[in-house]
Amino acid sequence: MLLIRAIVRPEKKDDVLAELSSAGFNAATMVDVVGRGKQKGIKIGGMVYDEIPKTLILMVIPEEAKDKVITMILAAGKTGKEGTFGDGKIFVSPVDEVYTISKGTAGL
Amino acid sequence: MKEIMAIVRMKKTGVTKKALVAAGVAGFTAVKVLGRGNLVTDLKAIEECKAKLLSMGMDEFSESGDTEKMVTSFLDGSRFFPRRLFTILVHDDDVPRIIEAIAKANRTEYGIGDGTIFVLPVSDAVRVRTGEAGEAAIW
Repeated sequence: MLLIRAIVRPEKKDDVLAELSSAGFNAATMVDVVGRGKQKGIKIGGMVYDEIPKTLILMVIPEEAKDKVITMILAAGKTGKEGTFGDGKIFVSPVDEVYTISKGTAGL
Repeated sequence: MKEIMAIVRMKKTGVTKKALVAAGVAGFTAVKVLGRGNLVTDLKAIEECKAKLLSMGMDEFSESGDTEKMVTSFLDGSRFFPRRLFTILVHDDDVPRIIEAIAKANRTEYGIGDGTIFVLPVSDAVRVRTGEAGEAAIW
């Protein structure tokens, strides 16, 4: 199983989650975060804004669903046709074990 | 070295904290998050609760269809609810013990929405104060 950490624009999170839910990946956790990327924030006049609000979406998915989920997040999280700086990133890490508390069993 | 991520009910934060301390962990981080789980496929499980909530609905003020849609979305798992995300770093041998402690503290009679526990591998950890790395940095 894999943990997907997707950092997306807050205004795009509903699109991304709706897209994933319609494909059967309903389970997700989201956290409001602030961050900056390679461009070192946004410079407007003399002010540098390097704490830009984003939403971090956490999902644990089966390994075979990885490509599908990533393609969907990339498509739904993009701004404009080409995409823009600040659209976010996706990180993938391995997960060893998963337990559902209410059922008391292992697995998603 | 493993990282345990546990997503639990807001109400169960205190109980989980106590259970973790009793089970013996070095420390943990807790964050407020919004979360949802798998969609409820077995609609029988939510029928009783749905009827109860619908009987409380103010149908004379709202379209009855709206009320039902809202109540259903509350129960079938398509809506995000506040949850607490615990992150705990532990030694490999301690993983089953701590998972058992979290699961025992958080199980309720509702059967849905009690949360999930993920176990992730960690490649390294460093304690900032002393600079010691690896297993020694945890506990």
